[in-house]
Amino acid sequence: MFWKRFKKNKLAVIGGILVFGLFAVAIFAPLLAPYDPDIINMEQVLQSPGAAHILGTDDLGRDVLSRMIYGTRISLSIGFIAIAIATIIGVILGSISGYYGRLIDSLIMRLVDIMLSVPTFFLLLTVLAIVGPSIWIVMFVIGLTGWMSIARLVRAEFLTLKEREFVQAARSIGASDARIIFRHILPNALTPVYVSFILGVAGAILMESGLSFLGFGVQPPTPSWGNILTAGREYMEVAWWLILFPGIAIFITCLSYYILGEGIRQALDPKLKI
Amino acid sequence: MYFYRHLCNICFIFSASFFFVHIATLAQNNQSNSFSYGDEIIIGSSAEASNLIPMLSSDSASHEVSGFIFNGLVKYDKDLTLIGDLAQSWEISEDGLVITFHLKKGIKWQDGTAFTADDVLFGYETIINEKTLSAYKEDYFQVKKAEVLDKYTFKVTYEKPFAPALASWGSLVVLPKHILEKEDINKTEFSRKPVGTGPFKFKEWVPGQKVILEANDNYFEGRPYLDGVVIRIIPDPTTMFLELKTQGLDWIGLSPLQYKKQTQSEFFKKNYRKFKYPSFSYTYLGFNLKHPWFSDKKIRQAIAHALDKEELVKGVLLGMGNISTGPYVPNTWPYNPNVRKYEYNPQKAKELLRDAGWQDIDKDGILEKNGKKFEFTILTNMGNTTRIKTATIIQYRLREVGIKVDIRSLEWSAFINWFIDKKRFEAVILGWSIGLDPDQYDIWHSTKIKEKELNFVSFKNQEVDELLEKGRRTFDIEKRKQAYYRIQEILAEELPYIFLYVPDNLPIVSARFEGIAPTPIGIGYNIEKWYVPKNLQKYRIQE
Repeated sequence: MFWKRFKKNKLAVIGGILVFGLFAVAIFAPLLAPYDPDIINMEQVLQSPGAAHILGTDDLGRDVLSRMIYGTRISLSIGFIAIAIATIIGVILGSISGYYGRLIDSLIMRLVDIMLSVPTFFLLLTVLAIVGPSIWIVMFVIGLTGWMSIARLVRAEFLTLKEREFVQAARSIGASDARIIFRHILPNALTPVYVSFILGVAGAILMESGLSFLGFGVQPPTPSWGNILTAGREYMEVAWWLILFPGIAIFITCLSYYILGEGIRQALDPKLKI
Repeated sequence: MYFYRHLCNICFIFSASFFFVHIATLAQNNQSNSFSYGDEIIIGSSAEASNLIPMLSSDSASHEVSGFIFNGLVKYDKDLTLIGDLAQSWEISEDGLVITFHLKKGIKWQDGTAFTADDVLFGYETIINEKTLSAYKEDYFQVKKAEVLDKYTFKVTYEKPFAPALASWGSLVVLPKHILEKEDINKTEFSRKPVGTGPFKFKEWVPGQKVILEANDNYFEGRPYLDGVVIRIIPDPTTMFLELKTQGLDWIGLSPLQYKKQTQSEFFKKNYRKFKYPSFSYTYLGFNLKHPWFSDKKIRQAIAHALDKEELVKGVLLGMGNISTGPYVPNTWPYNPNVRKYEYNPQKAKELLRDAGWQDIDKDGILEKNGKKFEFTILTNMGNTTRIKTATIIQYRLREVGIKVDIRSLEWSAFINWFIDKKRFEAVILGWSIGLDPDQYDIWHSTKIKEKELNFVSFKNQEVDELLEKGRRTFDIEKRKQAYYRIQEILAEELPYIFLYVPDNLPIVSARFEGIAPTPIGIGYNIEKWYVPKNLQKYRIQE
């Protein structure tokens, strides 16, 4: 049923293919990259795109294409891991909140409100300025500041699902709370989570690029799209290829994730007729 | 960023750009009718000043601002000899132990109070006070007795001969007694609202944005032609360059790339003038010698062999600079060209590391010893792309010999106050702006390792201590030369720093300013004589 509806949405399929393509690039980076992304060569500084270097070289003579291919790994894994963390936290807190209600619900939802009232990006900058930037910290911090909307979604699903007959049935045969939450309700509540997961990845990639661009994200020489872009900004007038290609990469990736996410949402939504 | 009048002091530099000394300018009377008053100059600076009392700050951003506001008793002339600034003349006793300064009469502080010898004594007493947090005390501890003979005569007596004695009476020590007498110098408001005797007086400081100075009408060498100087703080070099392109800035220091590739257009040729001259500064990779790995000389030498300085000059400075082998710059008398050099030789570096017990046991490309991997972090300041690029190249070269390096760039004042002063680092990339006198006691002497002092790498070498002492205790230039030559040999052997390069200064100034007279040491020394012809004037001070 899901597949049938999904396949009808051409745009979403293209998005899906692009996302898979990106994963393939990330996984097979060492095979695809024509050069070692870290090799510095002062003889070939800022060469424009050409036969030897398809996307040109940067200010230290490194091959831009190779750096972007390796950057895919960083960008995708940060996006994925960060949102995985956010989703786990969001699902657990959302379930507890929705299932138990009352005081626990109020406490968790007020925490959500508090977290939402703080601008995430500035919170990230503050944390990174204190602890010092690293890939892992970037992932964790994006994760720890991105779970609120997922918690709300899950809670809303739980509020309706917990009154349903199958839950009462489970309860009547003496199933534990944990069993009811994780075995009975949660699988039914995950649909919106899938969509927000996919959309969240795109957001996290953008966030990472933004942070790296400001110098707080992935540190050199590890290439990420964001920091290739930053390094290129200084050379904007003499080396356009340093900002154009990473920019396009970020754009296409985020767009693919969005249309894929949207496609999944439409395919899963029983109210929409296609 | 530039450096005004302070070439006699050593200080941390934020980024290599345009430094200069204040030297005497000859009045060009025959042309005086074409001079016109008015207009302001807007200078782009990448770092914000920390403290405008010269003796309390050791960063060039602060000295550059305070240099407009304060004078010393003496200053350097065009040919780099010392001439009077606030002092009219001075006598030095035969044995060199007593200097008697005769101050110029009629000089007024910018608030209208008369300047007298008491102010000099007050400044001296302040800097030697143990409570004053100054990195430059050492020179003044040499003074046995300082006394005011009359309103305009100031006499200092030294216990032993002290070569930098005269030069040390530059602008660090003259402070207005009538304002600061009852204040705590470390906490006073004065550090953000200074009153001096200089060509420009303090008007306003908008934190994080700009410092505004206006012409001192009563300046004792004549009012500057310009009405004011605005130092705008723009941490990001790209933004600064864009501001220059829109003509929002009149004077900045270019990066090598901007100098070579981005300022070639007709627009720049028409509206700006570019200058290029070697700086009195060098960039280095400094090690924390308290760290167990870097306390071993072999390791430092191995790292030196793993780096290619020529590559740095070529790649980072685009050839506009020289490699550095010691703490003096080429073409100055203390510079010793024949010290041990470490050619780029990764194989040799690996051997040295192996001798020191570092081996790649688990074959991951990184050396280990006693189960610990050879990893360390290089700190440098944010916003200086040249240094970050240098760090990236060093990181790559060290990776080749099996050392993993992380780079962390930090905001300037946090970098100096939390990491350098507190010695919380493994290695740093930084620069020193150096004085004209070769005495670098404050940087290399083993007693100068306390918080806020300049030997922050904790270098300790008895022979260097003795030579530093020897070098400052004689006026005989040949004997001094011997001492400083030997110091450079020891430093090249011991490598507390790996001296990387001496960058060229690459200032660019709006073409509407006239009266700029380039000398081998720079352009900005005579800024109070710069002027803009009436028809080209752009800014007016708002009344």
